[in-house]
Amino acid sequence: MGAIELENIHKSFGAVDVIKDVSLNIPEGELTVFVGPSGCGKSTLLRLISGLDQPTSGRILIDGQDVTRRSAADRGLAMVFQSYALYPHMSVRQNMAFGLENTRMPRAEIASRIEEAARLLEIDPLLDRRPGQLSGGQRQRVAIGRAIVREPTAFLLDEPLSNLDAELRGTMRAELAALHGRLGKTMIYVTHDQIEAMTLADRIVVLRGGVVEQVDTPLNLFNAPANRFVAGFIGAPKMNFLPRPDGRTMGIRPQHLRLGEGGLPVTVDMAENLGAETLIHGRSEDGHTLLAMVPGQVTPERGDVLSLQYDEADAHYFGEDGLRQ
Amino acid sequence: MSNGGATHYLTAPLRWLARAADVPLRAWQRMTGQGGMIALFLLPNMAIFSIFVLIPLGMNALYSTTGGVEFFLADRPYVGGEHYARLMDCENYLEPRSCRDDMFWIAVWNTARFVIFQVGVMTLVAMITALILNRAIPAKAFWRAVFFFPVLLSPVVVGLIWRWILQRQGLANLAMFEMGLEPVNWLTDRFWAFFAAVGVSVWAHMGFYTLILLAGLQAIPRDLYEAAEMDGTPPFRVFYRITLPLLMPNLLVVLVLALIRAVQIFDEAYVLTGGGPGTSTMFMTQYIYESGFANLLRNPGLAAAASILMALVLVVLTLCQLWLSRRAGGDR
Ligand SMILES: Nc1ncnc2c1ncn2[C@@H]1O[C@H](COP(=O)(O)OP(=O)(O)OP(=O)(O)O)[C@@H](O)[C@H]1O
Ligand SMILES: [Mg+2]
Repeated sequence: MGAIELENIHKSFGAVDVIKDVSLNIPEGELTVFVGPSGCGKSTLLRLISGLDQPTSGRILIDGQDVTRRSAADRGLAMVFQSYALYPHMSVRQNMAFGLENTRMPRAEIASRIEEAARLLEIDPLLDRRPGQLSGGQRQRVAIGRAIVREPTAFLLDEPLSNLDAELRGTMRAELAALHGRLGKTMIYVTHDQIEAMTLADRIVVLRGGVVEQVDTPLNLFNAPANRFVAGFIGAPKMNFLPRPDGRTMGIRPQHLRLGEGGLPVTVDMAENLGAETLIHGRSEDGHTLLAMVPGQVTPERGDVLSLQYDEADAHYFGEDGLRQ
Repeated sequence: MSNGGATHYLTAPLRWLARAADVPLRAWQRMTGQGGMIALFLLPNMAIFSIFVLIPLGMNALYSTTGGVEFFLADRPYVGGEHYARLMDCENYLEPRSCRDDMFWIAVWNTARFVIFQVGVMTLVAMITALILNRAIPAKAFWRAVFFFPVLLSPVVVGLIWRWILQRQGLANLAMFEMGLEPVNWLTDRFWAFFAAVGVSVWAHMGFYTLILLAGLQAIPRDLYEAAEMDGTPPFRVFYRITLPLLMPNLLVVLVLALIRAVQIFDEAYVLTGGGPGTSTMFMTQYIYESGFANLLRNPGLAAAASILMALVLVVLTLCQLWLSRRAGGDR
């Protein structure tokens, strides 16, 4: 239960094409992450799946059934909003019960579902508080709890952690991963944070300008990016790109550069010592900026010329069309 | 700087004034310090407030304890609480004819009835209008202007416009005649005249309250509605469980403001019906005005006493409003 298919989805707002011919297969039970730069259409695509928006053309199928024309409520999906969208005048318990009450579910059943979800998310002491009396992380849990009690076939999450501070984001990320493992339900998770994407995803969908650039597992994306855009977008710090005389571009990740004789000569602009490793910002012979992340603590001076080695196996080559070769 | 010359001459008097005031102002500040300057700048406003509000308020209280028909306080004999006693002298407050001043109690009950109908109907209509205007309808700004426009009219103009429409040979009856309907005596029938006053007042003021409610509706985050949509919440449940509770602070402010204004109903109704037919649309303010100035047997003291009683009602309503707005302010 919970396999989602998109077939040739287009979406335009007036004259602006926001989603351009997207076809996707989201396998049941997997956690799929939509990632891409701001404005690339991640939220729009998620809203099309949820039923809050209608595609201009194309089909959406859930478990093989065409749901394109079905209302949001009839798709059996639950959404967690970036702003949480908790009803401010209702208690946590009422917030979680609200959706279930629409279905004429017996009171006892509603109560037991809320209790179970509250225990799972460790929010049972908060049930009688209002959202305004909760911290950001607690609100986040409540928003997830409100989705869980509906027992949806799939969860849709639009940047659920973006309003939290860095530390809490890390904890909640781990909890979400654990939650996905426990529930085993399909989840679609939107983020523009590629660390979140790498750590959470079973499968990542990289979007740019309303087009799917690549779909694969996090490690495959990292190791074999299909084009220059994906190569630059996935992985931190960003991959270095160096033009070659034959018109191709070579890509090499900062982690794959190391100090050693006979490599690329690089003039140092600046070095940042992080303790375990050092980030060296520099310039190649023909003036291209280059970043190296070398292990240990090195302290080169500005203007020093270092030699940086790499293994040919770690180098990526992209043609003039940007595609991997 | 082609118009520099003209500006120079136009502002000359101001510059002259500023220079002339400079010396005395500096002298005043030297003598009294900053506190004195603050007092000086507040003085004009306080003077106007005193002349037009504070002093008349006190004088009104004095008038209410004096008798006779003279307008100068010095010529008026002290009568103590006699006017109040007269106004409150009643066998049955619900039955104006059993009261010594039956007109006062007719005005009280007319006003009460007016307030209930006017505030009730207006709040409802304003609410519905705001809900419609809050949707994506074509020419939204135009409709918003249409509903707000009457608020900008002077009450006398409102009264006149509607008298022309509703009088025996007015537009309304002409239109009804054209449609083959019997003409109605809108302004000379006891029943219709009262509701004409209510309706015209609703028309004249609802734009303001619609705007307050619309602002409240627009402050409700859209994603709350989307969350409700994901849950398949029926529209009326969305309204009762989400829209209405979140709009409640605005709705309360609207109710209390509308109450305060409805109690003071005078100009547009007076121009529209003149209080008639009979006494069917005579409200408190008209009673005060007529018994103080217009009647053959004018009694300024009685009018002053009645206006103090009305002021008490308004003070209570205003305190409610202050309390509500402070509470709403604390929530945010
Ligand atoms: N209702 C709308 N009307 C017109 N244009 C819209 C509408 N909603 C979104 N867009 C446009 O569609 C594009 C994609 O928007 P979307 O919100 O899906 O981006 P996103 O990938 O979620 O970005 P972010 O990471 O900033 O949330 C943007 O260029 C946006 O301006
Ligand atoms: Mg978005």
